[in-house]
Amino acid sequence: MVWVRMTKSRIFGATLALAAIAACAAPARAADNFSLTIKGKAFDPNEFTVPAGKKVTLTVKNLNPTPSEFESFDLNREKVVTGGSDITLFVGPLRPGSYEFFDDFSADTPHGHIVAK
Amino acid sequence: MPGLRSLAVALPGRIIGAALGAFGATAAGLAFLPPARADFELHYPIIDYRELELEHNADTTFDQPKSGKNNNQSYTIELGYAPVPWWEPEIEGDLNAAPGQNLSYSATTFENTFQLTEQGKYWADLGFFAEYSHVASKADADDIVFGPLIQKQMPDIFGVDLGHDTLHTLNLLVTKEVGRNRNDATPLAIAWQTRIRINPYFEPGFEYYGALSSIAGVSTGQPQQHRLGPALVGEYNLFQYGKIKYEAGYLFGLNRATERGTLRWRFEYEKAF
Repeated sequence: MVWVRMTKSRIFGATLALAAIAACAAPARAADNFSLTIKGKAFDPNEFTVPAGKKVTLTVKNLNPTPSEFESFDLNREKVVTGGSDITLFVGPLRPGSYEFFDDFSADTPHGHIVAK
Repeated sequence: MPGLRSLAVALPGRIIGAALGAFGATAAGLAFLPPARADFELHYPIIDYRELELEHNADTTFDQPKSGKNNNQSYTIELGYAPVPWWEPEIEGDLNAAPGQNLSYSATTFENTFQLTEQGKYWADLGFFAEYSHVASKADADDIVFGPLIQKQMPDIFGVDLGHDTLHTLNLLVTKEVGRNRNDATPLAIAWQTRIRINPYFEPGFEYYGALSSIAGVSTGQPQQHRLGPALVGEYNLFQYGKIKYEAGYLFGLNRATERGTLRWRFEYEKAF
């Protein structure tokens, strides 16, 4: 009985490890890339369209010397962009609709939208 | 992460499905194994870079007064900061009160969360959690807790489109006691949360917390524990002044070894610097 428990435990441990790695390493499809910049208190572009149902990448470049934070509850993304640098975000696949984003460090920066069609 | 990328090519979806299926079947087969100390705190694999976090977690149990399972309380205060995009260390103070006993300081814990994959890049997001807990009582043993954190965002749930994304988080944490008074058992704590991302203030869902006494080596001889119940998660954004987050859940005990109910809550203030 003890041997059976030990064997099951090892199978369990190995399966857990395999499942965890496999789940997170599944192939990512090639993604379309879209870029936007943060300059002053504005996103450029403030609104743009991406394909629905497909994974896309967003490159966010901060042209200001101070940090910003690209944030979107709709996309479930929150990432700091230090001054003069850029970040890449993997987003989607999105269902058709409008997804709001904003600079979390600056409440008065106009919110932008990603439209998935 | 070139290693993961090549692995991604080598592992088709069928193998992933088989592995997950085997995981479920093996977990079911382990149902006779006994439990570990419960910890009702879910860890997420995504790091909020440059954010300082002040966090409070707590739980209290409900059962019949003389059951030995009523009014078991746990409170923690944590302070953490993510100096790099892939690592967040936290220092935590733990207070506990076993049923019928007074609240006392029980442990000082050093937590580490590692984000291993870029959010959204792969099928799921993967992180790793590791903590060292130094107990206050000389009668107890220090312990190390570690294991993977897995998160998956989905536009539907089992093919049903709810109009909002769903977020699923799984923690598989193994505990190893170290030093004097240690027990050589290897308990496994499983935590699962599924929630619907309706809006920032209100994300309802459910949670499961399971405890298996030992997945390797000796057993502590304690029965396994399973808890399941509703949860509510939300946040209020103060923009440059930070963010307030909350989580609350009520867990129903699913077997005799578990108390009838557990109320758990979490409050967090975070601000980026």
